Amino acid sequence: MIDYLVSITTLAVIFAIVALALNVRWGWAGEFDFFVYGLVAVGAYVYAVVTLPPAPKDDPGFIYMLGLSQPFPVGVLAAMSVTGLISLVVGAIALRHLRQVFFGITTFSSVLILTAVISQETRLFNGYNGVFGVAQPFNDILQLPYHQYNLFFLGLCLVVLIVVYLLLERIFWSPFGLVLRAIREDEVAAAAFGKSPYTARLKAYVLGGLISGLAGSLLVSYLTAWNTDAWAPQETVLIFACIIIGGTANSRGAILGSFVVFGLILEGTRFLPPIPGHPDAPSAIRAIAIALVMLVFLRWRPQGLLPERHLIDADPSSTSRLDGIRNLIRRPLRRS
Amino acid sequence: MHGIGFGLVTASIIALASVAFSLQFSVTTTPNFAHGELLTVGAYGALVGQLLTHNIVVEIAAAMLSGAVVASLLNFAILQPFLRVGAKRLTIFLVTVAVGLIIQNLLLIAFGGAPSAYLLPAFELHAVGPFLWTSLDEAIMAATLLALLLLHGMLRYTKFGKSLRAVSDNPQLARVTGINTPRVVQLTWALDGLIAGFAGFVLAAYIGSITPTVGFTFLVVIFAASVIGGLGRPYGTLVGALLIGLAMEVSASYIPASYKTSVAFGLLIVTLLFRPSGIFATQIWKFSE
Repeated sequence: MIDYLVSITTLAVIFAIVALALNVRWGWAGEFDFFVYGLVAVGAYVYAVVTLPPAPKDDPGFIYMLGLSQPFPVGVLAAMSVTGLISLVVGAIALRHLRQVFFGITTFSSVLILTAVISQETRLFNGYNGVFGVAQPFNDILQLPYHQYNLFFLGLCLVVLIVVYLLLERIFWSPFGLVLRAIREDEVAAAAFGKSPYTARLKAYVLGGLISGLAGSLLVSYLTAWNTDAWAPQETVLIFACIIIGGTANSRGAILGSFVVFGLILEGTRFLPPIPGHPDAPSAIRAIAIALVMLVFLRWRPQGLLPERHLIDADPSSTSRLDGIRNLIRRPLRRS
Repeated sequence: MHGIGFGLVTASIIALASVAFSLQFSVTTTPNFAHGELLTVGAYGALVGQLLTHNIVVEIAAAMLSGAVVASLLNFAILQPFLRVGAKRLTIFLVTVAVGLIIQNLLLIAFGGAPSAYLLPAFELHAVGPFLWTSLDEAIMAATLLALLLLHGMLRYTKFGKSLRAVSDNPQLARVTGINTPRVVQLTWALDGLIAGFAGFVLAAYIGSITPTVGFTFLVVIFAASVIGGLGRPYGTLVGALLIGLAMEVSASYIPASYKTSVAFGLLIVTLLFRPSGIFATQIWKFSE
């Protein structure tokens, strides 16, 4: 039972980091981005090939590039650099003109192209079969037994989550965070204040990409294997569900939402009795449950469990809530 | 040359599916991410028709009806309540994403994840000019032409078609002139479902098997055709479908066939970047709230 709890908590923590990455793009900047999970996949692949030993020469069924046998920190850095770079390129092109649904369609298509390329070019990441046998981070030094190692890995993921959360909180309340939300609310008005919407959006896009690469490294370390089946486009909906349920543009909300989706909905439906003759039913019911909860939230509580936090005028005589572009005016403010 | 022959068949299927998508978008200005699922529903409708009767007319009718029922329900029971509370367009798009996921998984529970065979009576191979087509290919192209001509006639000459075009042009003006806009919207969704269901039947007959994700995997190709032709322009979409269909099949002669759909996505992205309002646009169309 303990093993089981540790396992789902680890998964929820890793997906909370993914949700934080999407939250920067979707919650803060308002980008309808489907690319995040593709970047998590790329991060996972890059981490795997950097940490794995060179591919066996005599096995034509298991080939991949690099194979540098590097430790965990190097793998993470490599993964983050690649996903950051891809975000920079994709963002620099797509953010120029495309907005909203068109941005969504473009990023969605890009992920599908990425899947096709990675599946076909076996020399990159072993095609459809994917990479496997990824080592557990730090266990070559620690030599912990199975149960204790799982606890250690959960701790590692938690530390990463907390660091990412604290960093994002700082950025959220920083002038850059305010500019980003101002642009989300009214691009023209923000531009009129001399803020470049394109640059700010691109920065946020790359920030989201870096976090996705980090999350991908942790995810593949946890699963020890990764292939194209593991990142169907439907997974992105799962992450959108985390954010919408938890609270759009609120980092605490995104974390809470991940725990709700993974802890309650995904694991709660795992104990349903199996339906004879319908082997796919349990996973289908899980997906339906998540989609339904997401619909209920979109309809009756679109702000989510923890709504977005705003800066409020610290002057007690004033009751005005300063939103969007008005946040740019320097006044004594406190956080809600 | 064979590539062009196959391309025309593929283009027919894409044309049916994306004209429905474009028509519905032109009236509601809501892109429907669950459009692929309408095709899937139509395909399974045809499958159930075949299991029960083995009569192709019944199968087609079942496909179209199931598509229309699901599309009408989607609008009436799900989208309209959201629109009544003033949901933003992006919210509606997310709603259709969620609904698509639900339909896909309901079908997965009902029919299982393994492909269900959907086979029509045996076909003969004909050489028509330089092209090599089966009788099924010819039937697909003929049926597409017929369906599009009927649609054209309806848009052009019936009262409903005229009100539909009026609402898509300017909903406020249409309402002022006494057109029952909600009714036109509801009927457009039903029409969208009818055509999408038929497209689902054609797709299933062409592939020969059905899975719960058959329509979803076709969705980006539909997006590509609609965007290239200009989103919400049913006639431009036809050209988009032709371009995408030909590009996909002709490219398969030169690069691995598994990149076929990537070619469609590539065209889509290039169009979005350089002519975001489609190849026939006269002005840059801003997609803003």
